Amino acid sequence: MDKVWLIAWHEYKINVRRPGFIIMTLLIPLLGLVALLIGAFFGGQAGEALTNVFAGSNRTDAVVDMSERFTPLLPEYAERYRLFADEEEGLAAVQAETARRLIVIPADYVASGRIRVLTNEGSFSSLDIEDSGSLRGFFIDHLARDIPDAALRARLADPFRAQVVSLSGEEQSAGGALASALGFIVPYLLSILLIVTIFVSSGYLLRSVSEEKTSRVIEIVLSSVTAQQLLAGKVIGLGALGLTQVIVWVGSSFGLSGGIVALLGVAVPLFARPEVFVLAVVYYLLGFVVYAVLMGSVGALGADFHESQQLAGVFSMMASVPLMLAGVFFSNPNSGIIRFISWFPLTAPTAMMLRLPMTEVPVIDIVGSLATLLLTIPLIVWLGGKVFRLGLLMYGKRPKLLEIWRLLREA
Amino acid sequence: MTRIVLQVENLTKSYGSFTAVDDLSFAVHSGEIFGLLGPNGAGKTTTIRIMMDIFKADSGEVQVLGEHPAAVRARVGYLPEERGLYKDLKVMDALVYLGRLKGTDEATARRNATAWLERVELQDWGKHKVKDLSRGMQQKVQFVAGLVHDPELLILDEPFQGLDPVNVEMIKNLIRELQAAGKTIVLSAHQMNLVEELCDRIVLISRGKAVLYGLLADIKREFAPHAVRVKTGNGTSGDVTGIPGVREIRPTGEALLLELDGTTPQALLAELVRRGVDVQSFEVASVPLNDIFVQVVGQGNDVT
Repeated sequence: MDKVWLIAWHEYKINVRRPGFIIMTLLIPLLGLVALLIGAFFGGQAGEALTNVFAGSNRTDAVVDMSERFTPLLPEYAERYRLFADEEEGLAAVQAETARRLIVIPADYVASGRIRVLTNEGSFSSLDIEDSGSLRGFFIDHLARDIPDAALRARLADPFRAQVVSLSGEEQSAGGALASALGFIVPYLLSILLIVTIFVSSGYLLRSVSEEKTSRVIEIVLSSVTAQQLLAGKVIGLGALGLTQVIVWVGSSFGLSGGIVALLGVAVPLFARPEVFVLAVVYYLLGFVVYAVLMGSVGALGADFHESQQLAGVFSMMASVPLMLAGVFFSNPNSGIIRFISWFPLTAPTAMMLRLPMTEVPVIDIVGSLATLLLTIPLIVWLGGKVFRLGLLMYGKRPKLLEIWRLLREA
Repeated sequence: MTRIVLQVENLTKSYGSFTAVDDLSFAVHSGEIFGLLGPNGAGKTTTIRIMMDIFKADSGEVQVLGEHPAAVRARVGYLPEERGLYKDLKVMDALVYLGRLKGTDEATARRNATAWLERVELQDWGKHKVKDLSRGMQQKVQFVAGLVHDPELLILDEPFQGLDPVNVEMIKNLIRELQAAGKTIVLSAHQMNLVEELCDRIVLISRGKAVLYGLLADIKREFAPHAVRVKTGNGTSGDVTGIPGVREIRPTGEALLLELDGTTPQALLAELVRRGVDVQSFEVASVPLNDIFVQVVGQGNDVT
């Protein structure tokens, strides 16, 4: 075991200093920072321009009310709106820029719903008006001013808040819409993180394995440690390296976008269903081991880095299958296909991490998938070590599938 | 009685229908330099890899220092034929890491590496990256990599490959020093003159089988022609003609090769002295190991 840690530390130490690693690790936060700066600079300018366009130097709207539904204005709108006796007066205010636009409400407004908006601004203003919550509020509040019940008035303005109950008996998790949304998003991001870690670490694993293979140092190493020890050391060391990179990326993006949002995003779902989080971490670790070992050993079969990468690509694809089936997860997280990929050890980690927050997963599926994973790992480590050892000593050629099978039987 | 350091018994290893090692047996004694010889593809590297527990044998047994190879990794040094070093690491760091993988603590590994680098005249290169070294320098560093953990048994697969004559001499002397220090060395090489100079005993493998095995001197004697090489004062064959038991006289360079049939070198020498021949040199003719190698391996090829 000492040798495994020695290899792990060696791999971590030499790779963490590589210029390639440092550049890649810092590139993402730097890009984020640049994007943020550009955003802040142009965003500030654009925001200012928009404010100028839409709000002008004053924010008052002129209103000519021929329907008499809006006269007199409700006190809460007195600042933002001003009533004018006719269109001419209103227009004069717009021309004089004391009002930014003129809203003409005709006498047949209640029947037709039509109003006219006169403005000096471009066509963007119509979008602004369509989407304007405050203008909508202005109309609703005045139309409903005769209803004495304040609660009813509020209900008219905001007619419903839905809680959807699925007939298959699933309930939304406690904590409201935010919690249920985050309860899904956080584990979803965790599974994406798993896949990113797999890609990042397997890239380092492949490179390290193929470097030892092409530089021919591997035979000296294999005369000192077993292939299993070497593989385990590399998986741990380079896994830690990949994790370092992801932590820097995630940490910097949290830092850039504001720690509170991140904290809230992680904390809310945790308090809602802590068991989901614990299980997600378990699946994350198991999944990482399965894939790292697979990548390392399959990578050893390639004649060079490029070829190893192609071979290992198959497994990267497999890890992302559950993400491709996201639609099925949304519509029915307990369907047959989802249950199948939850049990299948190569897809189980990502599948279960997606599935756990969405629904009450039957205990049998959790136990079953964990059991198959725990049974598969020693098998993969054992087989992987063999493939690794054989692959490493085959210089300049890639064994064919049948040959691999034969070698495995013979090894 | 000499202790057996490495025992290979009835070793067999096949790759599919190809038998790389076929019922191979030999033993290496403590403190000797043992030659593991054979043409390319004879099964030497496979045998060595089984000895190093990198490959598993189909059948047969290997005992290294009295134990299973896996149990004694730390006591065996190995210089593989297919060798290299971490190119981006500093020489010292690479050596210390490889030493530590063998189970040596860091301080000892560093101390040993420093001493050995000095011995191969690379003391100033410890802080340089491996890739900055010339090929010959890298070869020497690889040699050192096999010694950092101070092994009892050293397995050297083609240690002279790619070295210039000066460095060949250096490594040769180093191997002798290691032997003098009580180490056992298994040497696999294609330079038969070097094997002749260094090895006490050899095994010659062809097509996975041992075709010659034993003391080098005995093997050479066995293959030696029944002949003597004589150099006389006048350099002509006149003085030696008509001696009974001499079947043929052939000039070879400055000397004459006398093929004997029915007499011994001692009797011949006595006869020459009796005849008053001016004998300047007299030696029992031997055959170079290279010729034995070619002859034996060639025969093996003819059989099949």
